[in-house]
Amino acid sequence: MMDVIAGVLMVFGSTLVLLAGVGVVRSWGIYARMHSAAKAPTLGILTIAVGLALAVRSTTALVTALLIVVLQLVTGPVGTHLLGRAVYRRMRPELDGVDELARDESVGDGADSCAGAETESGR
Amino acid sequence: MLVLIAIAFLLLAGGAGCFLYRLFRGPSVADRVIALDGFLMTVTCGIMVEVTREESVTSLDTVLVVAVAAFVGTGVLARYVERRADESEDG
Repeated sequence: MMDVIAGVLMVFGSTLVLLAGVGVVRSWGIYARMHSAAKAPTLGILTIAVGLALAVRSTTALVTALLIVVLQLVTGPVGTHLLGRAVYRRMRPELDGVDELARDESVGDGADSCAGAETESGR
Repeated sequence: MLVLIAIAFLLLAGGAGCFLYRLFRGPSVADRVIALDGFLMTVTCGIMVEVTREESVTSLDTVLVVAVAAFVGTGVLARYVERRADESEDG
């Protein structure tokens, strides 16, 4: 029974990874590709790690799966944020809505936090 | 159980193929960085499914190494994207 649940979880996580791949191929624009490539595989890794801990019932597997999930949840958004900031600053893709980041970026490096605090207090 | 694992492997292979397509065809460097990150996540999932199939945790530490390598690679390549456009204006 536990094995079947683990297998279903693995199929679900693999489906999420496949959907992320389809999104990366089919999406238009770099931000849309980052959107689909950053979030779906993280949930897929989480689901597959839960399935692994259910199927391989040992302390080593449980601890390592937990470590993998925590590592992925911490490093995934950080890496995507770094890349998104680099893309925004250097490639300047066209946006659909209002460019709210340009106001803070125009203040200059080193004054970002001050500009954000000033804007927040002004509202 | 083995049937479900086989299905999971097939789905992961499809996802890896999609990421590799974007890795080779990506119009900009940032697209390739995203595709590489997603491909390494797919490799991570594949190793975990393989560990479940053979029910031995010996190759599970490889997942940690691949995850850390993917994060460091994404960070370094993001700095590369940010730095490189200083020389060429259109990036």
